[in-house]
Amino acid sequence: MKAESIIGLLMVILLTGLFFYIVEDVPPYGDPSSPALQLVRLDIRVDAAGVEEELNSGMIPAALVEALAARNFVAPSEIEEVTAGEWDAKIDKGEFYYEEDEKYYRFKKEGNQIEVYRYAPVVRYLEKGLEETDVPNIVTAVIVDYRAYDTLGETTVIFTAGISVILLLRRRGKL
Amino acid sequence: MTKADGTGTYQLTAEERRVAAGRDLIIEVIASLMIPLIQLFALYVIIHGALGAGGGFQGGVILASSFILYVIAFGITGARKRLPESWNTGLQSLGVYIYAGVGLVCILVSLGFVQYLNYWALPLPVAYEMRRAMGMDFVEIGIGITVMATMTSLFFDLAWKEKEERKEVKESNEGGEKK
Repeated sequence: MKAESIIGLLMVILLTGLFFYIVEDVPPYGDPSSPALQLVRLDIRVDAAGVEEELNSGMIPAALVEALAARNFVAPSEIEEVTAGEWDAKIDKGEFYYEEDEKYYRFKKEGNQIEVYRYAPVVRYLEKGLEETDVPNIVTAVIVDYRAYDTLGETTVIFTAGISVILLLRRRGKL
Repeated sequence: MTKADGTGTYQLTAEERRVAAGRDLIIEVIASLMIPLIQLFALYVIIHGALGAGGGFQGGVILASSFILYVIAFGITGARKRLPESWNTGLQSLGVYIYAGVGLVCILVSLGFVQYLNYWALPLPVAYEMRRAMGMDFVEIGIGITVMATMTSLFFDLAWKEKEERKEVKESNEGGEKK
């Protein structure tokens, strides 16, 4: 009985340490190397001639809007230069699930063309999920790979519920 | 059980025991046919979670339902012998250990290079994408074990408690009559 208690205490300490060690390393919001925050290439290109000057002066180029509308993407409302040859574009709150003035597109000058990227983890999960994880079921890929911490917490919730019921109901004659 | 004339004891036959416990032959036969199929389906759901509909949570609950069906058909005493409390409690924590351990193995193997549950760091002799898929399978198995053990232990504890209470009430009533 004594040995069991000691082993149990050691296991509790080990599990606690394990959780602290793993959860300590959650990346801070905005960590650029976190997969959820990387940009997604939308495969939309516009000729850089003329468009680049308009972007630099903060105007919204008509050619770019046209190219985005051809793929049913929302037109940007504000352009902001990040570095030379890279621009962030925000969109207005057009639909209820967009934040006000959300950063939405990233335009990059690559060679002679302006390439359109997008800030959106969901698009990345859907478009690159199969390629990156080799799992055809995108729901499983998201809950167990991209959002694995969430599921670890859920499993721990179920575990804790079971342990609570054991503690409440399984003390026969010990009360 | 003592004989009618009180000279000794005799062993009950299977049929007599079944009648004494209020069990039914049809339910027992159907349950013994269904339980292996349910368990097989549960394992299929857990493993198939990566390819189609399914996953650890669903598969674990289906696996637990097979044990609950066993309790309903054959009584709780036999079920407790087949799946003892100690095993059940151990399995509950084993699932969480598998889940957290996969992440820890990734961190240890890569000497702290990876930050969080990056399954591609697992030491398996397959390609990058395949390692992620296999890491997901391990995690699904861990979830399944935890969910199965928790659901079974919930049901067993509640059922056992009720039975025990009934026995206590009966005993106290008998004691009152004697006084």
